[in-house]
Amino acid sequence: MLKKRLIGVVTVRQGWAVQSFEYQRYLPLGRPEALIENLDRWGADEILVQCIDRSAIQEGPNLKLLKRIGALGLSTPLIYGGGIRDAEDAVKAVSMGADRILVDSMLWDVPQKLQDISRELGTQALIANLTVRVHENALLWRNYRSYQEISLKGDVLADINLEWVSEVMLTDWLHEGIPGGFDPRIPELYKPADKPILVFGGLSECSQIRHILAHSNVAAACVGNFLNYKEHAVQEIKRDTGEGLFRPAEYLQGGY
Amino acid sequence: MSRKTIGIVDYGVGNHTSVQRTFQSLDYRCNFSRKRESLAVSDVIVLPGVGAYPAAMSVLNDYGLVEFLRERARTGQPIIGLCLGMQLLADESLEHGITAGLGLIPGQVLPLRNPSWHIGWNTIEVTDSERMLLPSDGESVYFNHSFIFNSPREYQVCLARSSEKPIPAAVRRGNIVGLQFHPEKSQRAGRTMLKNLVEGLTCA
Repeated sequence: MLKKRLIGVVTVRQGWAVQSFEYQRYLPLGRPEALIENLDRWGADEILVQCIDRSAIQEGPNLKLLKRIGALGLSTPLIYGGGIRDAEDAVKAVSMGADRILVDSMLWDVPQKLQDISRELGTQALIANLTVRVHENALLWRNYRSYQEISLKGDVLADINLEWVSEVMLTDWLHEGIPGGFDPRIPELYKPADKPILVFGGLSECSQIRHILAHSNVAAACVGNFLNYKEHAVQEIKRDTGEGLFRPAEYLQGGY
Repeated sequence: MSRKTIGIVDYGVGNHTSVQRTFQSLDYRCNFSRKRESLAVSDVIVLPGVGAYPAAMSVLNDYGLVEFLRERARTGQPIIGLCLGMQLLADESLEHGITAGLGLIPGQVLPLRNPSWHIGWNTIEVTDSERMLLPSDGESVYFNHSFIFNSPREYQVCLARSSEKPIPAAVRRGNIVGLQFHPEKSQRAGRTMLKNLVEGLTCA
């Protein structure tokens, strides 16, 4: 049977890996490639690289970074997000090393282009990211560039055409970077039909991850810098979260 | 002993970089090309793929590679299709309409149902008769697809289970092998399998 996934997240801003707190404060960590290479060795199930400033500065995907990542020869599937404007950008990102594409701004700006990307790369390659927080027992969907928030229900939900994406990532921006902060109500308040959910933002504790993954539609826990505090964090989370939930992590000292 | 050469078909679709680096790390020489004469002298032709079926077949047609691959299959040159590359081996696909495939292994590519996705790490079950893949029986590998290669049972050499109905994970017809998953992104398990496949297909 399919296992739940532990996805290692590397957040990139101005070309550097950063530790982010609620997407408002950032601490530089160094070259993204170093963190990505570690996650590859440590046995993460997927690696997500999110370049959080690319859409705001309208420079498209960070192809230079993708080229450097591609040169690493990763053995772990790579999801790339940041600055994807159209199918051409998405195809370029995949040709340079990404296996899947995460889109966020596109959902606000040009959602119709999701279909174009699907026709080029296949729907399985597309993931939609919804940046959310809980407010009065509902989810508020946030445009991270304008800070506009709208309630994620009714017509809004119908307008987000998720036909062309395979999975939906729910990012708890309010608790991102806060240990154990993820709001467990989020996956209960949004259950798109027939779309597996990935959750991110403040996931750090094994008991918390176990609780979230108990939802049948939650396919993956995305964990950011909490994985970087110690070398065996991926193995420890996989081991301590619950036997059989994840594929066992293999640790390769020298890489693949 | 000279190193074996893997001819990776360059048809502008998918993440060929990972495939190329994986084979290089296994000590094979790689030739990433769309030139027929260059691919024809490779020990194994690899058809990678991340993408949609019609777009991929369209490019293969544009580059004149459809007839070439059929001709190479007739000569017995080993061919390995990966993920979308596996599905391209089929007769046709229903992804975004009906598209004719390479027709190298009988079967049709159909959408997955209940659930519509098969994404993530899953263990595989290899049939007893498939000696090249048997060492990988029970290993976890990375899948990412929403269509399956529905092939007659005689060509199915490996299965995965996501719901009650098993999913064809690998097909084989002679020297032509298709893998629905991404061995190049399946860490140690994927590399071991690719090594066994190349050595098994080229040992004669």
